[in-house]
Amino acid sequence: MADHGYRHLGSHAFGPDLRVERYRLDNGLRLLYLQDERAPVFCYETWFDVGSRHEQPGRTGIAHFFEHLMFQETESLPYGELDRRYEEAGAEINAATYLDWTYYVINAPREALPLVIATESERMHRLTLAPEHIESEREVVLNERRQVVDDDVEGAASELLFRTAFQTHGYGHPTIGSAADIEAFAREDCLAFYRTHYAPNNAVVVVVGDVGPAELLGGLVQAYGPIAAAELPVEDVRPEPPQQAERRVELHKPTPHPKLGIGYHAPAFGDVDHAPLVLLNEILTGGRASRLYRRLVTESELASLVRGVVGSFRDPSLFELWLTARTSAALPTLAGEVDLLLEAVVQEPVSARELERAKARAELGSLQGLETVGGKAEQLGFGEIVLGDPCALWSRLEAFRRATRADLLRVARRYLGRDNRSVVTIWPQAGEADSEAAQ
Amino acid sequence: MFESSRELPLVSVSVSFAGGAVHEAPEQGGLARIVARMLRRGADGLRSDAIEIAVDELGGELGVDVGLGVTSIYFECLSRSVEALSDLVARLLARPTFAPDELGRLLRQTESEIVAARDDDGFLASRALRRHMFAGHPHGRRVGGSLASVRALAPDDARRFHARHYTRANAIVAISGDLDGPGAERVAATLLGALPEGEPIAYPVPEPTLPEGRRLVCVDKPERTQTQMVLGTLGSHPEDDDHIALIAANTAFGGSMSSRLFQEVRGKRGWSYGASSSLGFARVREAFTMWTAPAVEDAADCLALELGLLRDFCREGVAQAELDHAQSYLRRSYAFEIDTARKRVGQAVGRALLGLPEDYHARYLERIASVTREQANAAVRRRLSDDRLWVSVVATADESAAALAGAIPDLVETVVVPFDAE
Repeated sequence: MADHGYRHLGSHAFGPDLRVERYRLDNGLRLLYLQDERAPVFCYETWFDVGSRHEQPGRTGIAHFFEHLMFQETESLPYGELDRRYEEAGAEINAATYLDWTYYVINAPREALPLVIATESERMHRLTLAPEHIESEREVVLNERRQVVDDDVEGAASELLFRTAFQTHGYGHPTIGSAADIEAFAREDCLAFYRTHYAPNNAVVVVVGDVGPAELLGGLVQAYGPIAAAELPVEDVRPEPPQQAERRVELHKPTPHPKLGIGYHAPAFGDVDHAPLVLLNEILTGGRASRLYRRLVTESELASLVRGVVGSFRDPSLFELWLTARTSAALPTLAGEVDLLLEAVVQEPVSARELERAKARAELGSLQGLETVGGKAEQLGFGEIVLGDPCALWSRLEAFRRATRADLLRVARRYLGRDNRSVVTIWPQAGEADSEAAQ
Repeated sequence: MFESSRELPLVSVSVSFAGGAVHEAPEQGGLARIVARMLRRGADGLRSDAIEIAVDELGGELGVDVGLGVTSIYFECLSRSVEALSDLVARLLARPTFAPDELGRLLRQTESEIVAARDDDGFLASRALRRHMFAGHPHGRRVGGSLASVRALAPDDARRFHARHYTRANAIVAISGDLDGPGAERVAATLLGALPEGEPIAYPVPEPTLPEGRRLVCVDKPERTQTQMVLGTLGSHPEDDDHIALIAANTAFGGSMSSRLFQEVRGKRGWSYGASSSLGFARVREAFTMWTAPAVEDAADCLALELGLLRDFCREGVAQAELDHAQSYLRRSYAFEIDTARKRVGQAVGRALLGLPEDYHARYLERIASVTREQANAAVRRRLSDDRLWVSVVATADESAAALAGAIPDLVETVVVPFDAE
């Protein structure tokens, strides 16, 4: 359909029973719409194709900082009015920023659709960025940083691991930013960021729930149609060069147990190797029957926690392993055992039974969370912004089903080399180590 | 309790037993949680590793949730596996082995987890508050137990707790998802079929009391750049006739981003990433708490501000506009309390476990809408107090304790405890 201010680009199956419709407004704003009438509610998400990967040294954290500013005053909404109106309507609001993206989420009763469209389009281009509120929000963000990094052992360790592993690519920047950078942002920096990245042609609106297409499309065209597209900058991507040697760093923190964080450079979310590596991670760390949990937590009792995750990012990211040792003395043995267990999957194929278990776990994990309108909207938006495929979840399920033992052997050999990894060791500060476990 | 939802090929099941930390002997802290976690570590001739492999192969996820009054065993699985997984879980529920070697392994792991929890400042602040505010009362117990209590547990302790609490008369089964009615009945019959009949277990807890006076506990931890701060006094009881009015008043005071507490602490001053107040729920009166996390340099000022806000709240209550806003928010956002089958079934289970009236949820919106300002403020005056109060703060004591104490008028007691005390 044309000449209505939008085009219908296609209709795609989202699982066995649902369909997602794709539209694009004339100014480039993309819309993903999935009608779901099971409850009188809807989820409305706005994804912007900007995250901390787009930041430069000295400006780290501005994507996240700006996310906070998006809840402040606009030309027609005085300070505090955005929260108040949404709450009045019974809406729950939130937002998140990460390496590749920033998104805003509104879960609301169906009657609130006109309010949501008006408010979300308003803040896409009419924030006023009052200096006094930038200052108060700066304090909030510095407090958030203290909470999730400075006073949080795992947060501090994760920041260090990514900084060590990514020395060129923007994935090495902490999404929350350094304290010095957060303190230095000027209003002009925020305005420049807003004008550069918050444009309809850099955004995807995702709507899932009990709203009709005519009301939605009419409302969107009227509210967003007048917003001008921006000339988007060409991203200054700097791919991470292949790592040539293992990197090791240490951290001393007031923590009772030593910890180990290991990050192997890993494939991008859209890479054919990604799904097999996720399955390999399931075999290594997923659940109590996994190899690392069984050996390190259950049998040898060297570790109290084992966790693994393969990053789901647009560019090559990290396969992270996190382990907590039960005592400082156990840490070297634990590290050695981890190496042996990883070497085993490099040397020999996993068993067919292990692979089937991993597939069952991956299938369950993929479907969990799709129960709510918010869960569906998140999958649609994430798939669109990272892969350009809102139905990526379902093609990914197929990739899990297709994966073979040979695929897992290939990715183990390709990614699990020691030269390809960075290791962070977190030691308890003197006097705090093993205060009880040794008794 | 069951509701069918055929949208996804998943089924969620929980079996809840009245049996939690308050049902333990005081010296056996952590027993309820240990019993629940032991189920998957050997049962009916199955070893621990065989159970874990079976759960994974069935595309299942099995977990336990143990609280003060309730133990819930829950699983979610691909619907093609629900009968097989129900068979397995039924064996775990009815015939756990409690093998000494497995118990020993779990106790050592639990000790390690208790120590590891010292990394979590938010937990430390909440824990210190409850330990002092509910001192000597079962609600002051740590659900997971202490190092000393866990070390003392034996297989026979676990067997006795299991035999008394894991019975049909003491269980509620909740099922939602990709099943029909007869299928759900089969699952429920399977899960309960091998359990003894037993008897319903009461909630053996007296009403808590809180002495007059404001008290401070500072959890001393090195190198804090930020404090975690929780203020607590006694709050609501679901059987109070002003229970709903108090919920509305609390929502206006600290239950949303437009609330007075959030706006004063974060909106105007940026002192904390979050700021909220909440009302706990149990079969006896639970805590009313206020939470913030200000930087060390703002902590004393933030505490003084919060105490002033609490004082004004207790004396003057909320304004009509604040109450109107809270009521609108509570009524309209209620759609998200019941937008999935799992939530609706969960709500019914919660009502049964708390002993709430049959029509509690059915009448909730009507009761929220009918609260007047006079009722809301009368509930606040009657139930909350700013001079029977504990303040719990995780901070580096040398740097912060004196300033924090100075921010509390008429402070009657200050306690400094090391962060690794428990």
